[in-house]
Amino acid sequence: MTNTESETKNWIRDAKTRAPLAPKKQPGYYPGYQVMSQKAFWDAATRKVVEDRLYRVPPIRFFTPEELPTIQAVVDRILPQDDRLPESKIPILNYIDERLFEGRIDGYRFEDMPPDREAYRLGIQAIEETARAMTGRGFTELDPLKQDEVLQTIHDGKPVAAHRIWRQMPIRRFWELLVGDCVSAYYAHPWAWDEIGFGGPAYPRAYMRLENGLPEPWEVEEQRYEWLAPVDSLSDVDEPATTARQGAGGQKETH
Amino acid sequence: MKDPIVFKEPIGGPFAPPQGNKKILGPLQRLQTRMQRFADHEVVDYCIVGLGAGGGVLLQRLAKAGFRVVGLDAGPFWDSERDWVSDEKGSHKLYWNDLRITGGEDPLTFGENNSGKGVGGSTVHWAAFAPRFHPSDFRVRTEDGVAADWPISYWDLKPYYELLEREIPVAGPAYFPWGDPHGYPYGPHPMGGVGNVLMKGCTKLGIGVCAGGPVAINSGSRGDRPHCIYRGFCIQGCKVGAKASTLITHIPEAIRYGAEVRELSMAFRISMRNPRWTDGVFYYDRDGREHFQRAKAVIIAAYSVETPRLLLNSACPGHERGLANASGTVGRFLMAQAGNVLLGRFAEPIRMYKAPPAHAMSEHFYETDPKRDFVRGFAIQTVGPLPIAFARQMIKAKDAWGWGMRRVMMDYNHWAALGVLGEILPWPDNRITLAEEKDQYGIPVAKAHFTLHENDKRLTRFAVEKVKEVLYAAGAEEVVEESRYAHLVGAARMGHDPAESVVDRFGRTHEVHNLFIADGSVLPTQGSANPGLTIMCLAARTADYLIAQGTRIFDSEKRDWTPPPIRKDLAVKGAFTTGIPRLF
Repeated sequence: MTNTESETKNWIRDAKTRAPLAPKKQPGYYPGYQVMSQKAFWDAATRKVVEDRLYRVPPIRFFTPEELPTIQAVVDRILPQDDRLPESKIPILNYIDERLFEGRIDGYRFEDMPPDREAYRLGIQAIEETARAMTGRGFTELDPLKQDEVLQTIHDGKPVAAHRIWRQMPIRRFWELLVGDCVSAYYAHPWAWDEIGFGGPAYPRAYMRLENGLPEPWEVEEQRYEWLAPVDSLSDVDEPATTARQGAGGQKETH
Repeated sequence: MKDPIVFKEPIGGPFAPPQGNKKILGPLQRLQTRMQRFADHEVVDYCIVGLGAGGGVLLQRLAKAGFRVVGLDAGPFWDSERDWVSDEKGSHKLYWNDLRITGGEDPLTFGENNSGKGVGGSTVHWAAFAPRFHPSDFRVRTEDGVAADWPISYWDLKPYYELLEREIPVAGPAYFPWGDPHGYPYGPHPMGGVGNVLMKGCTKLGIGVCAGGPVAINSGSRGDRPHCIYRGFCIQGCKVGAKASTLITHIPEAIRYGAEVRELSMAFRISMRNPRWTDGVFYYDRDGREHFQRAKAVIIAAYSVETPRLLLNSACPGHERGLANASGTVGRFLMAQAGNVLLGRFAEPIRMYKAPPAHAMSEHFYETDPKRDFVRGFAIQTVGPLPIAFARQMIKAKDAWGWGMRRVMMDYNHWAALGVLGEILPWPDNRITLAEEKDQYGIPVAKAHFTLHENDKRLTRFAVEKVKEVLYAAGAEEVVEESRYAHLVGAARMGHDPAESVVDRFGRTHEVHNLFIADGSVLPTQGSANPGLTIMCLAARTADYLIAQGTRIFDSEKRDWTPPPIRKDLAVKGAFTTGIPRLF
């Protein structure tokens, strides 16, 4: 089977041959590892919480129909899943929406930040304004590379538009809120645990091989492959960052 | 590659919670006693606000000594089998997630970082490192010329360290070389991957290091509590019952001796009969109804944000700036420790999710070294972030997003995380005040202001570089850093001088005769040790004082400064009958 270039340009590539790698049910270096195969060994409360994540995805209730396409497109670039088959993509936006709908917070709000709901509404608006300023088109109309260019300005904390909004809300704090919510949803999912080889719940069964990175009898050994991010993306890490970067720990760094 | 062996079902079917017991504290603990219920109009001897490290110990001690005592907690009385899960995201409810506003140049984060909600408080989600403070921690003003001295010394607290280490109990080496050297009643834990990294790096650099503790997790079974199973979900609430929390160490005995635990009860004002005497606590119940619990004396143990918030919200005639705040000290000298996390990537897999996050540490750099450009010091400790926590660290540490985040996370099993635990000094401008915003009960929320000063910054920089060296020495290919803060103490400090402190050496407020504070907020300085054990010890000492004073606490204006005798007979049952016998 051959695929056209337009179909494969969002695919990750083999690091050596540069050939596109077709989406998989389970990306990552632990083929065949399935954390859910262990569910009978978990306590009932944990089993329910994890199974609900697979079978009871919350509906969208917070984002408006106007906001939805933009924030969905943003989330698809913050944590792209083009290496996953459509049926094995992990729902992220539904969990951000659920948190905002229920008004759940982590116990604090930065003095210089609006409440989370308002932060998202302002953030979506700012991303749209930035897209228009940079390209003359809306965020959802852009191809992935252009979308990454728009998001990169927020990641870098160097706004090119929407200055009125970024005066109300420090740009890096919004970025960390958004990316934090995305990773909290993705890496809570058992399919993500399969991808990264995380052992998952272990009560009451326990772990017995604590040292030397040894897998348990039901875990699998790592099988690495080298891959490159799709051509149409900007978000890969190029090289190891050897110096520590400061996040938005201090307000003085964010204005 | 051969297929993994997959066991589909345990013999006997999937695990299900035990049936027929209303309260299950760990798989083996049962509360057979019916809990005492006091009516609001009944005058109890003591009403304790907050049942965490301090409040839990006090509830048990006072009940066992025969007092009528009620403990209010804003959160639920956990049933660990039903309520807790081996899952990061599913454990959100363990934390104090109500709104707090945070600012300053280096704003603190709250919630899962440092604030528990529910019976057991933050001990439900602490990693359970349980080192003692060093003797020098009590004399920072004298020895280093900064901050403050405590009104008590290490030697006042030492017998309580020895007692509480047996009660909860603490596992660690037979000989712990730092501070006042001592041994632990339970042997050290086996090592996990992160501990091995710390041992290897420190050993190579000639830095002293300690394996397997000190940590308040059972390394052997004890009474009705099993030993650790090394599943790594300590800070999600220990379903096993191996990790100590006052919920399983002290609360059950408190109830057996007639204490009442009143869950989902949010205190909002301390009631004053006149400016020198309190007569009880106003609180909202689970349905938001207002109640007033009458008490002969009140103990606040709500921790470093909620304790000052409650005092400030209790302003009344005679206490216009907030209760017990004539000095203006309430809310000030708030401290958190530098908790910078250094993450190293290794060629070989580590799998840091196994074993308790807390299982090896070094206090090699704990004391002031005149050769450095700062006073005081820091500890190095193992940390074992689970995937979500690790991903969130990588947002800052590697600026990762998109495909970069996916790539970093695919290497999760190759990373090891070590934490700095650095002493930040108490500063008056680091403080809790009230914000204009209100919470779901209509109570003004707390606002925290936190800014590092020059000594804090120098200390943190030095510590971060040192831990980086350790990781590289252990063979890391890449090391990145996330700056953050750990623990909370201060904001209602103890001292001799009423003009500069809120409570006296026994935790009694200078201004109100029958109002006490028994939590981390009374600490004048914080050392580089995790504060949990010290908070419990201070609470046990306050309890001994209250018990020795008897009913004088309820009606005498004269303050007796005689140190109380230590009441080892009030320690929880089993403290002296189990463990690995060792000479003290």
